[in-house]
Amino acid sequence: MSWLPPADGRTPLDRVFGHCPELYARYRDFAGRLWWSHPVDPILLELCRLRIAQLLCCDAELAVRYAPARVAGLDEAKIAALVTWPTHPAYSPRERACLGFAEQFVVGPRGISDDAVASVTTHLTAAEMVALTEALAVFDGFMRFRLLLGVGATPTGICDPRPDAGSAD
Amino acid sequence: MATTPRLPKPGPTGTGPLADSLLAHQPALLESFLALYATLWGRGVVDHPTKEIVRIRSARITDCGY
Repeated sequence: MSWLPPADGRTPLDRVFGHCPELYARYRDFAGRLWWSHPVDPILLELCRLRIAQLLCCDAELAVRYAPARVAGLDEAKIAALVTWPTHPAYSPRERACLGFAEQFVVGPRGISDDAVASVTTHLTAAEMVALTEALAVFDGFMRFRLLLGVGATPTGICDPRPDAGSAD
Repeated sequence: MATTPRLPKPGPTGTGPLADSLLAHQPALLESFLALYATLWGRGVVDHPTKEIVRIRSARITDCGY
């Protein structure tokens, strides 16, 4: 539970980010485009989001699933194998390259080598690469936001980041 | 650390403040990001000097010369 007094809203994120309603609306627009305009495969986004949540020990993010990835076919068996992504056969070379990139983004972005970047750009276009990196910034940044402000998981367990959807978190 | 450009420059996409940046590979995301960033800087209850100090400190911690 957040140590901030609750703003109006249905979800834990609503009740914290709702203190800045105009900024929250802009955030939801941006997050909605990331997930629903498909600038990059939503399954890749979801795997990277969950891996970052594992690294940051963000229980609120680990407890939820994003609707666009579920619609795209991501199942729980694959998510359960995420901690073993470097060797597990369920993970493709494309997914492994992106997960390695996501991990390096969190632990030290200046340490990302040209070879590591090249392993991702082998599988993604420049536009997809930009979208993925923007998504990593959102995931990493807003997980830290959640952890610092004590924002819990949405009770439904399913997040839909569209501005007109019920639950952005 | 990059030793060569990691992505190609985007083609001409407009005249906005980041029209030549890599972010312009995703014009719809860039438009939304600029609106978010403008709101972050232009509105709210935190004064501009504090925001700028926090931005510079964050850049220094992550060693971001940009």
